[in-house]
Amino acid sequence: MSAASVRAEAKRLLALSLEGGAVSSERVGAVLAALAKSRSAHQLRPLLRAYLTNIRRELARGEARIEHAGPLAAADADAIAAHFAKVLGRPVRPVARRNDALLAGFRVRVADDVTDLSASLRLANLAKSLS
Amino acid sequence: MSFLSVLLAAEPAKAAAQAAPAAAAPEAHGPVADIISLFGSFGVDGPHLLVQLINFAILAFILHRFAIKPALGQMEERNRLIEKGLADAQAATQRLADAQKASDAKLNAASDEAAKILADARHAAKAAVEAAKAEATAAQTEVIAKAKAAIEADRVKMLAEVRGEVSRLVVETAAKVLEQQLDDATRGRLNEAAVKQLAR
Repeated sequence: MSAASVRAEAKRLLALSLEGGAVSSERVGAVLAALAKSRSAHQLRPLLRAYLTNIRRELARGEARIEHAGPLAAADADAIAAHFAKVLGRPVRPVARRNDALLAGFRVRVADDVTDLSASLRLANLAKSLS
Repeated sequence: MSFLSVLLAAEPAKAAAQAAPAAAAPEAHGPVADIISLFGSFGVDGPHLLVQLINFAILAFILHRFAIKPALGQMEERNRLIEKGLADAQAATQRLADAQKASDAKLNAASDEAAKILADARHAAKAAVEAAKAEATAAQTEVIAKAKAAIEADRVKMLAEVRGEVSRLVVETAAKVLEQQLDDATRGRLNEAAVKQLAR
């Protein structure tokens, strides 16, 4: 299979793995089981690699990865996820992780978009403006 | 009457004259006879004198015909040559004067030309010196300007580096102070404020 046909096949498999616009673990399992039966291991390796990349990208599109300094209430994390779900027009779930290097505030990454409301970024901008 | 006929006619006259004195001498008297007698005492007698005159005339004719006339012709030729030489010399002198005048004129023209060339050369040299001075001045000004620009650039760069370093130190210090001073409660409040800011 050529690289273009692999990408097209992986894109088709990703479409089969979505349920209600989100990645479904059951569908992913069914797709993998069907692939294991129909293709040899030699043919599956590039296709599975492309399929994994698409699944990760799709999962990242539905996740708001929140890095925060200090405690962040669950309600606040939900509020952040709801904000991005409203802006992007798709369901987004919060995935929080504490990072005190931010000093205060938080940084949110949804797919390739990054929103930074941390004190460390403001200090970095201050340093740039002074230099 | 030819010379020969005169000579023949003179011989009877001479004989008659030699015979005549004896007969005529007693009869000749007066001043003329005295003069003739006087000439006779000096050996001068008429026929002899006549013959001498004829001889002299012949000699004069021959001399004039074959000596004096050619000599005069040669003298005239010589005079003509001398006059021609003098005229040529005068013409040569004139030509020499003309040539000298022309030479002087050419010399003066050459001198003027040389003076003009010298003046032009001096003018060109002066212009070249002025141009070199101007070029040197421009180069000097450019070098000074470049040096000033380089100094200014270095100064600005140094100031920027100092400013950046100071800013970095200030920010690092502020970050460390914040990290030490902020407790979880304060960070929680700041997080809530950031959530509200995001919602706006």
